[in-house]
Amino acid sequence: MNEESLDRTLLALADPYRRRVVDLLCERPRRAGELAEATQLAFPAMSRHLRALRESGLVEEGRHEQDSRVRIYRLRQEPMNELKAWLEQTEKMWMRQLAAFKAHLQKTRK
Amino acid sequence: MRVPASPEHAFEVFTQEIALWWQPNGLFAITPAGDGRLAFEPGVGGRLFTTFSNGAEYEIGRISAWEPGKRLVFTWRPSSFTPEQSTEVEVLFQAVGKETRVSIEHRAWDTIPQRHAARHGFPEHATLQRAADWWRVSLAALSERLGSAE
Repeated sequence: MNEESLDRTLLALADPYRRRVVDLLCERPRRAGELAEATQLAFPAMSRHLRALRESGLVEEGRHEQDSRVRIYRLRQEPMNELKAWLEQTEKMWMRQLAAFKAHLQKTRK
Repeated sequence: MRVPASPEHAFEVFTQEIALWWQPNGLFAITPAGDGRLAFEPGVGGRLFTTFSNGAEYEIGRISAWEPGKRLVFTWRPSSFTPEQSTEVEVLFQAVGKETRVSIEHRAWDTIPQRHAARHGFPEHATLQRAADWWRVSLAALSERLGSAE
């Protein structure tokens, strides 16, 4: 696992608006205007969030299929997969720690 | 995970005997030098730190909730994380008959939006709650959608 890119993903997701954008892009790719409207953010503020998401690698910019003048944003699979893998491993790690805690309690039980 | 102890005893052993039960593991090593010997300093604001055989210490995090027999919350920052990046661990102790259910939730960004909360004008708790909800709910939905998109 690449820790630097995971750090970038976590930092990008540290903002509630950016998490909302990721939620929305999960459903389908969208235009910046749509995203601004759905989150009730001013367009420049949304642009800043989209730039942060692009820089983190979570989101990429593309062209609309029917109209190449229109820019659309979509999620990139890779960072989300990495995040999922990290979550699963973290959960496993804590399950192992809890099992060890339980074993210790049983051993030292009065 | 159910453990054979009262919530009070489970909390005490969890915090005071962590050096005895903690299992170091390679993939999630706290520092490149390993996990060392972990210890909690009791009470809110106390450190969770580890000591190495040469006497060096590393602070893993700080305790933000200390409710013996009920709840423990502390920050968690392995040395590979950047200084501004911290994750949060919440441990709950619930009595089930004569035993205790111990559950752990590790949250990756609940600690970060605290600074953002004031800026966005959200009440802090609501923001944190939303972050926690997103963590639990959306990620499962997300992984389903991502899975089907492949």
